[in-house]
Amino acid sequence: MTDAVRAQNLSKIYGTGTAAVTALDNVSVTIARGTVAALLGPSGSGKSTLIKALGFVSPADTGEVFFEGRSVVKDGVPLEDLSRLRRRHLGFVFQKANLTSFLSARENVEIACEFGGKADGRSRARELLRYLDVGNREDSYPEMLSGGEQQRVAIARALANEPSLILADEPTAALDSVRSRTVMELFRTVAHERGAAVLVVTHDHRALDVFDVLYEMEDGRIRPAQHGLPTST
Amino acid sequence: MNLAIRDVRRHLARFVGTAAGVGLLLSVVIAMQGIYAGMVDDATILTRAMRADVWIVQRETRGPFAESSRLDPSVEARAAAVPGVRSARPYTYQLIQREHRGAVMRIALVGLGWPDDSGRSLPLVRGRQLAQPHGEMIADASMGLGIGETLVLAGEPYRVVGLTRNALTSGGDSVAFLTTADTQLVAFDQPSEATVLERQRVLERLRRTEIGRSQPSLEDLPTDPRWRAPALASPPVAAVLLEVAPHRLAEVRETLQRWGDVTAYTQEEEETLLLGGVVQRARMQIGLFTVILTLTAAVIVMMVMYNLTLEKTHDLAVLKLMGAPRTRLLGLILQQAWLLGVLGYAVAFAIAEFAFPMFPRRVLITPAISLIAPFATMAVVTLASVLGLSHVMRIDPARALEG
Repeated sequence: MTDAVRAQNLSKIYGTGTAAVTALDNVSVTIARGTVAALLGPSGSGKSTLIKALGFVSPADTGEVFFEGRSVVKDGVPLEDLSRLRRRHLGFVFQKANLTSFLSARENVEIACEFGGKADGRSRARELLRYLDVGNREDSYPEMLSGGEQQRVAIARALANEPSLILADEPTAALDSVRSRTVMELFRTVAHERGAAVLVVTHDHRALDVFDVLYEMEDGRIRPAQHGLPTST
Repeated sequence: MNLAIRDVRRHLARFVGTAAGVGLLLSVVIAMQGIYAGMVDDATILTRAMRADVWIVQRETRGPFAESSRLDPSVEARAAAVPGVRSARPYTYQLIQREHRGAVMRIALVGLGWPDDSGRSLPLVRGRQLAQPHGEMIADASMGLGIGETLVLAGEPYRVVGLTRNALTSGGDSVAFLTTADTQLVAFDQPSEATVLERQRVLERLRRTEIGRSQPSLEDLPTDPRWRAPALASPPVAAVLLEVAPHRLAEVRETLQRWGDVTAYTQEEEETLLLGGVVQRARMQIGLFTVILTLTAAVIVMMVMYNLTLEKTHDLAVLKLMGAPRTRLLGLILQQAWLLGVLGYAVAFAIAEFAFPMFPRRVLITPAISLIAPFATMAVVTLASVLGLSHVMRIDPARALEG
């Protein structure tokens, strides 16, 4: 399996002097395509900072991020158009669905297809919504959808540009246990069937068996975790 | 996919409401400009309608509009004899206020030099010119009188035979055109007893004299309603209007300058007197108010655009995180601003079309206003979207990850 994203020695510090907080401390991590990985850890451990660095949203101060083998950000300096990279190759799923409020379910997916340069966005959006079992709600606006339906549409939107990497930040926090597991299983299906690399930040330990790889973060450092092992929360 | 249209469609009622508000604001700006233009036009319409080359007024006055002017009626005959003058006619102008059908009516009475001038230069929209020396008037439509209706002035009925549109004074009062003799009857309304006694005295004298006995038809003269008793002074006129042969204007003016009792103005000078005197202060006031109102409208539209953008901050952050090209997001704001401008202008245009004619003062939408207003509206909304655009540029896509 090829690497979708590889981070090498990422460090990031917020604030200065005595108020300085180390969010990332020499973090190195690799997510391969076709893999679904979980990122565990307590609040403030640096998970969201790592997601932002790997998603090319807020670069780390030092270190390097490789995407599909090429260096994209080095020591905080972008080496490529990061917006273009995001719209072509990355998908995001958030704690809340964060669907665009003035677009219908289909249009939310369709606009992501458009940004990703995919032809025939409308039919692709319909296909994805059907794949995620919300095809019957394509004309509904986000506020008309249940939390679970919104999250499915958000996943469909994340898949719209056929991403190499999907980053999900606590995507099941607002869902009950049954729906949480369904969503996690969906990520695994996406990774295995579509060959995407999926990194999911989660606090939900009930569905850890779904993941191929587990990472744990604490005080800005990352280490591999094992299935069934207790983690600090 | 057009994001601006999608957003408008989703919040249609609110957007249309906002556009209506912007339209009302624009209509006020256009109305102020229209009132300003109307005031300037009203100030000159009376002088232009008379189509005179030279206005002779009382010496060293700026009459007859900027200040009162009283000329002896003999000036008309003297002026007519000046080489180069094609015709001379008297002109009277006075403001009166009467009650008609229970409402107060302010009218500017303008005298036409019958029979030379029966109102042929007036822009009639209905009816005809004056056809007899007494008892007829041409009224402005703003007076609310119809053809055939009568208005009683100084005890005499005057029938409306023609209607003009927008013949107003600089103060916005309607103008009615009568013969000069009739306006003088109204202006110098003699007590009827004085006229009857004087008429009786003249008839008695005619019967006592040889000339009266030999020409009995002379006894008809004092019974003519236009007859003025010799014992009563001839009423003055406000001005004498001259029509001058082409290329002889300078020569005529030079002659008139030598007369000790009059001052002569060309048509352009008379207009300048009006604009520089009567309406100058009001013009400046409305002009300044228009500028302030335009700036206020721009600021309000700017805040409206900014608030519309602020409401979308989270959506825009999500779109940015998804890698939306900057042009798409800036286009969303700009297109909405333009749409707001177009809808707002349409509302303002509708108001101008249907409501402005009902305003008590004339709102004149000149071709310049019609041409400039839509472009100015689009320029204002484009400028007004600058705050919103700068907000879009500053949105951090990481905000989308913060839930």
